[in-house]
Amino acid sequence: MPAAARERATLVVEPTDDGFTVIRFLVPDRRQNVLTAQVLADLAAALDRLATGSPPRGLILESGRTGSFFAGADLDRLETLHTLEAAELESLLTAGKRLFARLSQGVPTIAVIDGACLGGGLELALACDLRVATLADHTQLGLPEVKLGLLPGWGGTVRLARLIGPGPAVEFAAAGEPVDGLTAWRMGLVDACVPAAVASENARRLLAIHTAGDRIDRRRRRMAEPFDLDAAERDFLAATATAVMLGRTGGRYPAPPAILETILAGSAESAAAAERRESAAFARLAATPVARNLLRVFRLGERNRRDHGVGRGDEATAPPRSLVAPAVVGAGIMGGGIAASHLRAGFRVGLVDVDPAALARSVPAILDEAAWNRSAKRTDPTAAVALAGRLQTSTSLSALAGADVVIESVLERTDLKQQVLVEIERAIAPDAIIATNTSTNPITKLAEPLADPTRFCGMHFFNPVRRMTLVEVIRGPATTDATVAAVVAHAKRLGKCPVVVRDSPGFLVNRVLMPYLHEAVEMVREGVPPERIDRVSRGFGMPMGPIELYDMIGLDTALYAGLVMDAAFGDRIEASPVIPALVKAKRLGRKSGGGFYDYAGTGPKARVIDTGPGAATVLARYPLPPRETQDRTIADRLFLPMLLEALRVLDEGIVRDGRDIDLAVIHALGFPAFRGGLLAWADSIGAAEIVRRLEPLADLGVRMQPVPRLLELAQSGGRFTD
Amino acid sequence: MPVVVACCRTAIGRAHAEKGVFRHVRGDELAAAVVRAVVERSGVEPESIDDLLLGATQQRGELGGNVARCVGLMAGLPLSTAGVTVNRLCGSSLQAVAQAAHAIAAGAADVQLVGGVEHMHHLPMDGVVDIHPQVLSRTSRGMLSMGLTAEQLAATQGISRGEQEAYALESHARAAAATDAGLFADEIIPVLGHDESGGVVEVWRDQSIRGDASLAAMAALEPAFLPTLGTVTAATSAPLSDGASALLVMSHAEARRQGLEPLARVVATAVVGVPPAAMGTGPIIATRKLMARPAAAGITLAEIDLVELNEAFAAQAIHCIRELDLDPNRVNVRGGSLAIGHPLGASGARIVTTLLHTLAATRGRFGLATMCIGLGQGIAVLFERME
Repeated sequence: MPAAARERATLVVEPTDDGFTVIRFLVPDRRQNVLTAQVLADLAAALDRLATGSPPRGLILESGRTGSFFAGADLDRLETLHTLEAAELESLLTAGKRLFARLSQGVPTIAVIDGACLGGGLELALACDLRVATLADHTQLGLPEVKLGLLPGWGGTVRLARLIGPGPAVEFAAAGEPVDGLTAWRMGLVDACVPAAVASENARRLLAIHTAGDRIDRRRRRMAEPFDLDAAERDFLAATATAVMLGRTGGRYPAPPAILETILAGSAESAAAAERRESAAFARLAATPVARNLLRVFRLGERNRRDHGVGRGDEATAPPRSLVAPAVVGAGIMGGGIAASHLRAGFRVGLVDVDPAALARSVPAILDEAAWNRSAKRTDPTAAVALAGRLQTSTSLSALAGADVVIESVLERTDLKQQVLVEIERAIAPDAIIATNTSTNPITKLAEPLADPTRFCGMHFFNPVRRMTLVEVIRGPATTDATVAAVVAHAKRLGKCPVVVRDSPGFLVNRVLMPYLHEAVEMVREGVPPERIDRVSRGFGMPMGPIELYDMIGLDTALYAGLVMDAAFGDRIEASPVIPALVKAKRLGRKSGGGFYDYAGTGPKARVIDTGPGAATVLARYPLPPRETQDRTIADRLFLPMLLEALRVLDEGIVRDGRDIDLAVIHALGFPAFRGGLLAWADSIGAAEIVRRLEPLADLGVRMQPVPRLLELAQSGGRFTD
Repeated sequence: MPVVVACCRTAIGRAHAEKGVFRHVRGDELAAAVVRAVVERSGVEPESIDDLLLGATQQRGELGGNVARCVGLMAGLPLSTAGVTVNRLCGSSLQAVAQAAHAIAAGAADVQLVGGVEHMHHLPMDGVVDIHPQVLSRTSRGMLSMGLTAEQLAATQGISRGEQEAYALESHARAAAATDAGLFADEIIPVLGHDESGGVVEVWRDQSIRGDASLAAMAALEPAFLPTLGTVTAATSAPLSDGASALLVMSHAEARRQGLEPLARVVATAVVGVPPAAMGTGPIIATRKLMARPAAAGITLAEIDLVELNEAFAAQAIHCIRELDLDPNRVNVRGGSLAIGHPLGASGARIVTTLLHTLAATRGRFGLATMCIGLGQGIAVLFERME
């Protein structure tokens, strides 16, 4: 590889005093070690050189970069996979496999795993005879390929199954979740787990222990042979794992079943045959649209993490102002959720509400949420006590004096919000930032009474705050770049994905959601059963259908949001008469025990009662003429208006980049990741076909009319995404 | 005729959260290691093993859910080998040995893999037990503390603190000498554990044995169970331990068929109940009962070459030696549990393992393994070495 040879080396080879050789990886110009082509070439060359000299007692593979063994394959390289023919791809994988195989052919080898050891990185470690992981928090071992619609392609499935057994191997590779060093040791994934400071020394000890006798040879034989799994166990594993996967993925993700099949069949044959099987399965998966879409979604997230929120998003700029003294005004559900997410992220946070009763109600809920231990599925009482000291409540806005960012989250009434914002502005330092959490109030309007609107913007969190990662950061007319960048950076510190949008009714998410919800109600009025609409939507991949969603949001809330949208976009999203009628009939959704559906109880988990009258009597007052209703038409009617609205959002420059739309619908609406996002989905159909599908719906009015951008793309054959 | 074909044990670790060599190793892993090793070193056909009997007193957490079956699966035993976990408190794995011998003698089984395990750091004795208050109607709360029963023995039998300490010192001295001479090398199989810095070590040595034990250091200790008045200290009580041990028991005919050489045959077994408050006297009554068995007819205690008497407490061991009139030079010749450690459920199989290795090395003929058991019981098993 002459071109590669000119580049800087990615590893150093060092003999030790006690007769071992260390290969230490440090991939230049990267924040993390990743397995680039250069790394593979350097490793091959290093092994060649070692083979010519007198053999060391053992070979130790470690990282020269703290916190990163290998974070995985080079994603830029992954992106090109889709362009390769299956045969080409398989030969590429074979080359990697051949290289990795050399790690268990000569002298005994061990990988020292400190930091991220993911994907190809873990496959490299698995290819060594032994592994030692560190107890450090940053040590994570995982095979996340499944999340990109792929499977490990460098022998990972083959070695994993032989090392920890086919059942656990399927679980581990199909879930894609990393484990820490101690868990990895319990699983048998690594041979030892020790403090980071003594990891290298222990690698030598382990090599010395295992070099005695025939232990290494036995291991190598075990890794080469089929895994002895009883036939009844094999069948049982196949049946149960398939059922679990179907339950989790609805059969829409091809990678988990492929992983199961590859591991099951591969563990019953020789490692050599299993490796060929794995390569073929990888090539099949890489060619699927799902893999392409999942990689795209991954890239959307990566881009979002780098996007500083102003300009193009990736220009070199001064680092944004770091906000360290946050406060929340309004101790309702949203304000409480926002405060809790600050505590979870390690902030000390102020919480102000003029109503002492509201404060008293919210504090226990905030601490419960902030101290929630996800793995134990309960609140950690010690953490709750510790966090209580970091939550400072007050009934007076004067408590905000020391804050550098205040997130206002009072009731969604414009006049009230304006009044509170003005009071906040008076109470805080002149350079402190004010953000308003609102889903329906125009930021422009809220900014009006402020003396200094340059430091003001919208910060729209979604409910429930702990689970919903998207945050819309809304620019008002006067908001400065510095304000936006600081709020974007702050949202990221809360673990959120901020998307910067211009002010517009419904901002981004609710604006593309409303046409979908609206269309669902129109179809119900035409006589389509709500269950059917929801089923089609879930069949498309949405986590719940639009009618279920209405009942979940609450019809009173939806009514208010609908009025806002009606005022702005009445030509296409008029407020349906059904919603106010349901609200009047006290059918508010799940919270009142009935909305479109009837529920046994009022909680979020209350079951739908099949025999209840539902909203039928209310709906009967607002009939629409029935139409042809194939499932496909229902899907078109739900999702094409959503797309058309997204294209308008693009045309109006509400978002800075179309990729923000896809990221937002996936994170906030649960739009199926395997479709890559709304625009990627549109690309999978093609603009011309979309225009054709809209034709029979033209009589429904403006809401089904192709927008100019769609017509242009249909003409040019261009794509919605870049 | 039931015979023992092979036996081994892990080194016994201290049950200590910072210093224990097995503090990061689960008890079931220790058990799997000895099971795997005993299969390997015996050369038994794995498919012929009917059952895996494991003694364990704290059958919960990592040793819960019938751990014997789990260990069989972990250790790679054939799926056809069943598994049962046995609990006779400290006598658990000696009970497992006895039970295996009974099954074989009765023709109910041919091959039984037997062992015991305890991880007193991960699963301490003061865990979840809910003794019925009415149990105490026939005894008293104090009997729940083994240390107090030892204090009672010391007081009623006139065993001074000095005697107890001298006994413990001798136990350490013998164990240290045996370790240094490599006498445990055959019975201990290495398991990966951790040194104090958290580094990996292959554990070959029992962690509680103190070659540097001294009467002066022992005299400085506070009584462990009975403040001020007591005579029993940490030095004269068996340490809390983590460890496992296993042996292969089979019918002589089956051993011959498989071409395996037995180490010893099981001559007779006995269990007995004694007053819970006199828990430490169990070995005396059990041994007398054992020697009265028809199978032991014609054998006298004086003819027994080696005795492994489990040392729960020095006071208790001293009392048993006196009452049975045993020759101290034939008892625990390589040291006892006071030094080596007492991983409750594993100790029975551990003392048998040590007994059979010592019998082989000294070319003795009869060996006795006996133990006291909480809530007032005793157990004894008699072996005869085979050439």
